[in-house]
Amino acid sequence: MSNFQRPGLKKIETFLYRESGYLDNMQLRQWIDMFTASGDYWMPVSVDQQDPINHISIFYDDRDLMEIRLRHLDNPRSHSKDFSIRSSHVLANICIDEFNEVNGDCTVSCNFQCIMYSRDQQEIFAGRCNYQLVMQDGHYMIQRKRVDLINCDAPHGSIQSYV
Amino acid sequence: MSYTVDDIEKMVEPARVHRKVYTDEEIFALEMQRVWGRTWIFAGHASEVAKPGDYKTFNIGQQAMIMVRDRDSNSIGVFYNRCSHKGAKLVGDGSGCAKAFRCPYHAWTFKTDGTLLATPPTKTKASTGFEPGDPAYNLVAAAQVDNYRGFVFVNLDANAPAMQPFFGDSLSSIDNMVDRSPESELEIAGGVLRYRHDCNWKSFVENLNDNMHPMATHQAAIEACQGYANDLPEGSPVPETVSILGPFGSSYDFFDEMSHVVFPNGHSYSGNSVSIHSAYPPVPDYVAAMESAHGEDKTRDIFSCARHNTLYYPSLTIKGAIQSIRVIRPISVNCTDIETYTFRLKGAPDEMLQRTLLYSRLINSPSSIVGSDDLEVYQRVQAGLQGMGNDWVSLERQQGNDVEHEDGSTTGMGSSELPFRNQYKYWLQWMTDTQPLKIKA
Repeated sequence: MSNFQRPGLKKIETFLYRESGYLDNMQLRQWIDMFTASGDYWMPVSVDQQDPINHISIFYDDRDLMEIRLRHLDNPRSHSKDFSIRSSHVLANICIDEFNEVNGDCTVSCNFQCIMYSRDQQEIFAGRCNYQLVMQDGHYMIQRKRVDLINCDAPHGSIQSYV
Repeated sequence: MSYTVDDIEKMVEPARVHRKVYTDEEIFALEMQRVWGRTWIFAGHASEVAKPGDYKTFNIGQQAMIMVRDRDSNSIGVFYNRCSHKGAKLVGDGSGCAKAFRCPYHAWTFKTDGTLLATPPTKTKASTGFEPGDPAYNLVAAAQVDNYRGFVFVNLDANAPAMQPFFGDSLSSIDNMVDRSPESELEIAGGVLRYRHDCNWKSFVENLNDNMHPMATHQAAIEACQGYANDLPEGSPVPETVSILGPFGSSYDFFDEMSHVVFPNGHSYSGNSVSIHSAYPPVPDYVAAMESAHGEDKTRDIFSCARHNTLYYPSLTIKGAIQSIRVIRPISVNCTDIETYTFRLKGAPDEMLQRTLLYSRLINSPSSIVGSDDLEVYQRVQAGLQGMGNDWVSLERQQGNDVEHEDGSTTGMGSSELPFRNQYKYWLQWMTDTQPLKIKA
């Protein structure tokens, strides 16, 4: 018996635009609140990396670390964040990869290009994002956002905020 | 300009160094020859080339090298990554397993012991111009290679002292890390992080034993972590993130107690029985495995040693209590790559590697709130030292309180800048030694 209807692409697109918009506007409080209590943000360091626990990653933040990161950003003595951090995401090739009609959960993915700017320097991040979305009280929440950079295994300078 | 010995001597005083030591391209080029060319540089860990034919490439400054496990002898060799014909880099960067190394230019092919095997289409003097078997056409091996409990080091100067005397008693930190395995063996696991630092390599190296910076540089990370922990509902379990980040907020007194031990040739560690790593919650299965392998007394001895960073000057720093290492790869006077590797303690439960990886991700990743504030100050040092207003960098803290010991080591309070003074003492010796490197053994 199907309890849920497959979401339209437009609905997913709107959700993803809101999510990346919070990052671009540095509204990290609102951004964190899009995650479930056990949700996480994962940026692997290897191509096709299977495991965030037994393999190193660039980011693998649970809600605890997201909250600590937010406080670090807001702290006047976080000197690496003295300069305003701005980003611009462009999302494309959005797909709904899986849909569970029993509970409404779905997995979606998209290509992204993100320009991040801080202290006179612009950096380009590009790759594919994968979102595990779960339906809670009629709304989608993020269980996992996975960001696969095309240059995940290259040497990186400090990555000042979420991509 | 070209620096004379006299010029270089004027740049290093017992507790002050000239800013050009960090900012001058010619000094950097000289360092790559005179310091990195004649000290023991970390090549890699034996477990990275576990099977015959396994190889990995790495750089010592501009010198492209290959570390490879020979298929016939099973021993680990290190060679210059250069075809003996027209000089092309023989192996592309990375790692793999090779039957032989074939140059992409004219297909000259080398065995994994460096011997020239083939020069297609024929290997005759008439076609190549030299006698088949002439060793001058083999790959050139690094002048010296040695391996301490799996840690492979290389020295590009045949005249340099052997590895063990070079590192001396600082090797006890490697012993402690290896002894933390119930099988007394380590294995690199969990991938590598590469973090590009826009700064001079020495800024990173000095900071490893700089116990006076966390309370300033990491104040924001500490406050973020403590503030979050304090706001958790009463009785909440301490998140692992907090138990790792929290100790960075220890007091000046605590860090002062993490005394320094420095050794000849620039090596050092801080924190022995006390460090920011000494209070992690125990993993019961691991403690049991250690006690069954080593006995209770030896296990207690091993765990009582909770050193902070041990620096194997100039290229390697290890954290025995965490089982992670960072490798310093200088690229230019103001660019340095830091590679972080993590180890599995053979015979220990997976939880131990998982904690190592968590630590590494929190502290050593390009996303780290600790690492990014460190890099920020190194970048500011690099920028500030361009200033002509003051030529000198002060390394004078607690200068009068260093204690020299008969075994050759010197100790100082945790707040001392002794490790930096010690590094420059030897740096100056090497930098003013104009004898050319003896490249071939």
